[in-house]
Amino acid sequence: MVARIVGGIVFLIAGLLIGGGVAAADEALDRAFEVLATYDWGSERAPLQALDRAVVGAHGDQQAARHLENRLVEALEAATTRAAKDYLCRQLSLVGSAACVPAVAGLLADEELSHMARYALQRIPAPAAAAALREAVSQLEGNLQIGVIHSLGVRRDAESAGALIELLDAADQQVAAAAAAALGQIANPAAREALAEFQQRAPAALQLAAADAYLACAERLLADGQRTQAVAIYRTLATAEQPAPIRLAATRGMLAATRQSD
Amino acid sequence: MTSERNGCRARRSFLRRVIAGGAAWCAAPYVISPAALGNAGRSAPSERITIGFIGLGSHGIGHNLRSFLRQNDAEPVILCDVDTRQIEAAVHTVRQQRGESFDCATTRDWREVIAREDVDAVMISTGDQWHGPMSVGAIQAGKDVMCEKPTLSIAEGRIVADLVRRYGTVFQTATEDRSIPVYHRMAELVRNGRIGRLERIFCQLPGGPGNAGDPRPQPVPAELDWDMWLGPAPWAPYRQGLHPYHWRWHRDYSGGQLTDWGAHQLDTVQWANDTEHSGPVEVEGSGRRHENGLYDTFFEYHLVYRYADGVELRVDSGGTGLRFEGSDGWVGNDGWVRPLQASSDAILASVIGPEEISLFTEPRGEHRNFLDCVKSRRDPYFPAEIGHRCSTLSHLGNIAMELGRKLRWDPVTEAFDRDDTANRMRSRSQREPWSNLGGVKPLG
Repeated sequence: MVARIVGGIVFLIAGLLIGGGVAAADEALDRAFEVLATYDWGSERAPLQALDRAVVGAHGDQQAARHLENRLVEALEAATTRAAKDYLCRQLSLVGSAACVPAVAGLLADEELSHMARYALQRIPAPAAAAALREAVSQLEGNLQIGVIHSLGVRRDAESAGALIELLDAADQQVAAAAAAALGQIANPAAREALAEFQQRAPAALQLAAADAYLACAERLLADGQRTQAVAIYRTLATAEQPAPIRLAATRGMLAATRQSD
Repeated sequence: MTSERNGCRARRSFLRRVIAGGAAWCAAPYVISPAALGNAGRSAPSERITIGFIGLGSHGIGHNLRSFLRQNDAEPVILCDVDTRQIEAAVHTVRQQRGESFDCATTRDWREVIAREDVDAVMISTGDQWHGPMSVGAIQAGKDVMCEKPTLSIAEGRIVADLVRRYGTVFQTATEDRSIPVYHRMAELVRNGRIGRLERIFCQLPGGPGNAGDPRPQPVPAELDWDMWLGPAPWAPYRQGLHPYHWRWHRDYSGGQLTDWGAHQLDTVQWANDTEHSGPVEVEGSGRRHENGLYDTFFEYHLVYRYADGVELRVDSGGTGLRFEGSDGWVGNDGWVRPLQASSDAILASVIGPEEISLFTEPRGEHRNFLDCVKSRRDPYFPAEIGHRCSTLSHLGNIAMELGRKLRWDPVTEAFDRDDTANRMRSRSQREPWSNLGGVKPLG
């Protein structure tokens, strides 16, 4: 009997402690969102730790993650400082899903925030994140466009191959070089075909970029066990017309392919 | 004799095999830089390797520039830093060594360095945020590369290692550990079974910094190109406590002592454990960070890693030291380059026989090793792939502490098992236009 009473008391105290802990955590999280309204470079970081913990703690709990994501999106839309938006994009890069994409993608054209938007979108696995980057890539120019091209390459977004192929002929050669590199990462049949053609006609300033991207395609094929197709690319690039570093790289690639067949 | 050269693939041997193969494509010439061939009006490789120095802080000058200047066959061609005060200090150092009339170009833009045809190799001694993009740019420009450790992220390390393999670049991850007798000896004893079957590894690394730094923005000094200093990192205002040197306590530019010192001691761990091309399969741990202030890396940390064969690695902040425990004894030391200790005199006196595993070393240091390898076209003792795997060990620890949970890691696919958040943390987007997939914006 005594044991049951003691057990009940312990259970009650534990419940109160846990409940109190949850309430305190909720309060701290609310405070963190409040702080973000005026957060700027040089502000104290400590109040944001509750938010840091909430993002980590949402692992494996879809409901908690989506609830938190919604609050982060609301905060992003309400934020007035670059520092606050920077912080929120970082958190969304960890916990964000398709739900946050419209709000984040809205920053892609912003000179100051485009990178942090990509910081999130590049990491969020949801197809909507790639779609947002694809939509932006043909609307932007200069460095912002280069950044988005890069993010699509990192994501190996096959659906962007068409838009990137068009950018091989961009007037800005840095954009064309970035597009070639991204296509090399994507390395799907459309990208390979475009790079095969581009590396033959690329202007002198882009020859290395084109050949490098084509080499990347070959490596991808080799990694996927498609040795014959990889060797075909290496043969194309091992010819005397190619710059010496490309010839050597192609030769090394063929050797690697030979090893793979052993 | 079983001689392991740490991946020192002799490229001339490769050529012989290629030519012996007889295929048409095998006729492709072996490419070596103009200076290395002794043409282009310059000395033959046995006499001189021309080097562009990028990053001229205390380590860039005090260790890397000075060490290369001591080598008769190293020729500084251009000195680069985003801070003109550091450039001036480097020019002074060069002239002290090579004479007041020595002429050496200077620039604040690293793209000028890799664009020069008269540069054979680059020495990169910048903040970690630049290691990947600069290495990629230099490799694609046909330069050999010696780059300070560590990588900024797991993904960047993979990109550089793959590119090095693609182009046959000579790439040295800049640390001295493999040239220091006590670490070489420690690794060889473990690899040759002198302590029996390896079971546990204890690695101590420094903690810190003790202070949190001042986070308040300050005016950018006139001598500093702050935007170029930031490079691919997220934009942020200038804060006095970052440049020089203390950027390593901020996550946008480094991974704290765990990556900074991990690149030293954890390399010996991987070397001795014969996992330098692989890594652990599990990691968990905890750490402490300053709640406020500028610095946000872990200043205290306690980590446990487990390898596929059951070997356990414990990493703790609080000093430096290594200890390898096996079924038949232990070896280690109790501080940076401190003398070797062991569970028995027999282990200490043990001789590695001619039929045993002989690990490659170069007692004259990493700079000498790099220059020799530029000429021989062999891999240096700490090449990109091994450097990447070593840095990965530290990144895994930081990610595990940040997430506060045990993580399972696949060293083959280089991905976490069923942890989406951890997998997202393997890479970071780079600020435009400093992407490092080959789209690095060239000069002009």
